[in-house]
Amino acid sequence: MRRAALCLALVCGAALAQDDTQPLNIATWGGVYEDSQRKAYFEPFAAETGVPVDTAAYSGGVDGLREQVASERPEWDVADMTMADHRQACEEGLLEPFDRGALAAAPDGTPPERDFIEGSFTRCGVAHNVFSVVYAFDKRNFPGAQPYRIEHLFDPERFPGQRAFHRRPDALLEWALISYGVPVADLYSLLSTDRGMRLAFERLDRIRDDIIWWSDPAEAVELLLESDVSFAMGYNGRFFDAAVVRDEPIEIVWDAQVYELEVWGVPRGATRPDLSRRFIRFATRTESLVEQARYIAYGPTRLSANRRLGEHATAGVMMRPHMPTNPLHMDRAIEKDVAWYARTRDRLDERFDAWLAAGDG
Amino acid sequence: MSALLRLRGQAAGLASVARRALAVSLLGLVLGGLASLAATGFVAAVEWLNDALWVSARSRMIHGDWPWLPWVTVAVLATGGLLVGLLNRYVLPGGRVHGPPDVIEVAQSGHGRLSLRAGLASAGAAVTSLGAGASVGQYGPLVHLGATLGSVIARWMPAGSAALGTIGIGCGVAAAISTAFNAPIAGILFAHEVILRHYSLKAFAPITVASTIGFVLTNFVFETRPLFRVDVVPEVAPAEFGAFIVLGILGALVAIAFMRAVVFAGRLARASRLPVPLRPAAAGAALGIMALWTPEVLGIGKETLRFAIIPDAFSAGELGLLMVAKIIATALCLGFGFAGGSFSPALVIGALYGVLAGYVAAPLVPGAADSISVYAICGVAAVTSPVIGGPITTILIVFELTRNYELTTAVMVSVVFANLVSYRLFGRSMFDEVLRARGCDLTMGRDQLVLDHSTIGAYITHHFVEAHPGESLGVLRDRLVAAEATEAQLIDGERNYLGTITLSRLLVAIAREPNASVDSVSDWDDEALRVDTSIRAALKHAESNIGEMLPVLEEGGSNRIVGVIAQSVIVRAYRDTMYGIRREEHAAP
Repeated sequence: MRRAALCLALVCGAALAQDDTQPLNIATWGGVYEDSQRKAYFEPFAAETGVPVDTAAYSGGVDGLREQVASERPEWDVADMTMADHRQACEEGLLEPFDRGALAAAPDGTPPERDFIEGSFTRCGVAHNVFSVVYAFDKRNFPGAQPYRIEHLFDPERFPGQRAFHRRPDALLEWALISYGVPVADLYSLLSTDRGMRLAFERLDRIRDDIIWWSDPAEAVELLLESDVSFAMGYNGRFFDAAVVRDEPIEIVWDAQVYELEVWGVPRGATRPDLSRRFIRFATRTESLVEQARYIAYGPTRLSANRRLGEHATAGVMMRPHMPTNPLHMDRAIEKDVAWYARTRDRLDERFDAWLAAGDG
Repeated sequence: MSALLRLRGQAAGLASVARRALAVSLLGLVLGGLASLAATGFVAAVEWLNDALWVSARSRMIHGDWPWLPWVTVAVLATGGLLVGLLNRYVLPGGRVHGPPDVIEVAQSGHGRLSLRAGLASAGAAVTSLGAGASVGQYGPLVHLGATLGSVIARWMPAGSAALGTIGIGCGVAAAISTAFNAPIAGILFAHEVILRHYSLKAFAPITVASTIGFVLTNFVFETRPLFRVDVVPEVAPAEFGAFIVLGILGALVAIAFMRAVVFAGRLARASRLPVPLRPAAAGAALGIMALWTPEVLGIGKETLRFAIIPDAFSAGELGLLMVAKIIATALCLGFGFAGGSFSPALVIGALYGVLAGYVAAPLVPGAADSISVYAICGVAAVTSPVIGGPITTILIVFELTRNYELTTAVMVSVVFANLVSYRLFGRSMFDEVLRARGCDLTMGRDQLVLDHSTIGAYITHHFVEAHPGESLGVLRDRLVAAEATEAQLIDGERNYLGTITLSRLLVAIAREPNASVDSVSDWDDEALRVDTSIRAALKHAESNIGEMLPVLEEGGSNRIVGVIAQSVIVRAYRDTMYGIRREEHAAP
């Protein structure tokens, strides 16, 4: 039965591939992350199915997806979103339902339900890697004492210099409140109170004049290397690429890293949903995840893939120590409360914008 | 040969010691494990309800976009209150929630018997109250639940006795505190200092085992987080110890204000003439409306407690306002019949008070400005220790939660002065005052209470000289002389007591009118003792009666005589009881 289904899928796939060589349009994040995806599964997918992969620039949020779904003919076939955004989109009905039964088993036959780490499945998709938001600093700016805790980010007297942050409340609020010495386990319940929110913004006030905002994740590394910026918030994989693969003078601070899952989903009303699902199945095979982890330091969500982690494709360093899930980085690690974000996004943005506006005045 | 016998004797002695040690460990193990599981389940149920009923901060934030949220809270609290009120009225023995005062009373009176029904129903009422967000504490209910399990199981065991029941209570209490606070030493001390009030080795051993099991289960099996963690503790400057004394003294005043408010609210509830089931519902609705302005008054107040040790999280005005609001909210909830303790609210009130004291001290005391969190913790200790009447326990809880020696020393100073003042102006603790209001005074120790709970039943003599209506005086005199007795009890055919006839009155009557019947010379003992009269009441009765043998009637309202008790026997009963107390307090395993 299963074999028959598989055959059918293959035949359909082949049929699709023959009929339709229109490229598959995937919304993803650009830069070295997209490069790793290209090498690990965009190109192999094209080779297997004959359907090339095109990418659309995406840098977080659900506004873009909402517009596309509203237009009733979304341009994106697949969207690579963070868990918080994905869940919000799923609750708003912007994504197609997803059947986890369509996923590939591990090489040893372990079914996907037992191979993916806890929390990987949602109603609308499946998580494929663990990434984290950390800060990195320009080593050239700190010849003496170097920052190593999140508190140092909010201490402009001891560690002066510009700070480049993503223009969103995400991770910033967590860091601001954690810098008061709040335990990670209490973080979101304290951030849920008016007082917690106020304290967080008061921390941000301290460094308001030093903040430069970025919107494309690739900018974080560029700002550190090519301008006067001393600190940048960014995704650990991109910092890894700069610091280890390209040997640039930057250092990652793992303290209070905010980790989250990256999730595949299919926009509601996507024109070729079967092809989209086939792509997701392909991209979440153990082999694909292992291959991607040879290019970027994001932890695979499959246990079978984690057991197969090896060296970086070109730099020749072991990847395991650079993954967010490495026990050495978990001391004060913050698991992003995606359910919280999914339900509070608008109010958070509103408050964040008000804070931004208060600074402009 | 004799050496061999001696050896055998020693071996038997060793085996008996081993058996006893094993029994003690088993008792502690079983009771501690159960109480700890119950405590963990209780806390988890409350947390789950808080999330599901939109009481917890996180769930309130998530549903904060819903304009009806405040009214949901009002409805949840009123409904929860109604449920608790119905439990109070129809399920709970005595029509009220049971708690630590009941545990203390049972442990002190020596009979060691807590009602399972009261324990489970009170725990259910407490989960409902806390789950709905009432401003009450969770430790009182945990202590009572642990004590009930300990008492019921220890008495049910093969060698179960009243003394074992009391030890079981100690085990349950220690395991509950150890689990809830992640503080095993404090658990042991709380059981001894607040509940048992003595330190016999026989009780100490199983209680220690129980407390340890609670600690092991929370840390290694469930891996629950401690309620309150203090990671960074600032240095304390020498001059600040003076400030901690003042902080302790004023903290006692805050604690007294809090306790008096609770007592006052209780009176208000009774004066309100609201039916019992509606009282907590009314308090719940009021609390929900209060939460419109100060959501901090809801629930256990974990967030407020956490913020208190962050410098500048509150302005001085906010601290004062919140302190008053929390006192009013808690008094309302407890006074109107929500089920729960007073410890967690006292923690929050104490923390707010401590920070406020720190703000005042900052410009006056060198070093104070940098150690606001130390003031917060001293405030917590100064307010909570008079409430629970456990200075040593409080000091140890702080020590075990912070593992900081300097801080504990600072806390120690505040705690002793707080207890000193509070003892003088209020009483030993909230618990003791509740008991005193119920007529159970422990200020002079437990002797009176034990005498109240021990009856003369076992000391009654069933043989006595009987006199019957219509008998002649001379016959009775001969009978008394033959029995070498000085009193006879006049009874009818149904053995109803009609009066007492003393030999001296009998002789006087014979001299005056030799042919009269005995009916005319009897003396009616109008407050005759009964089988279930307490030893304390019997002693009092004996003081005012000159007769040697006192008649004892059946329980209840009948007049049927059961026997007599000699005054000297009442004194013996008193002596036996006192000896029993001393034996329990100095028992070795």
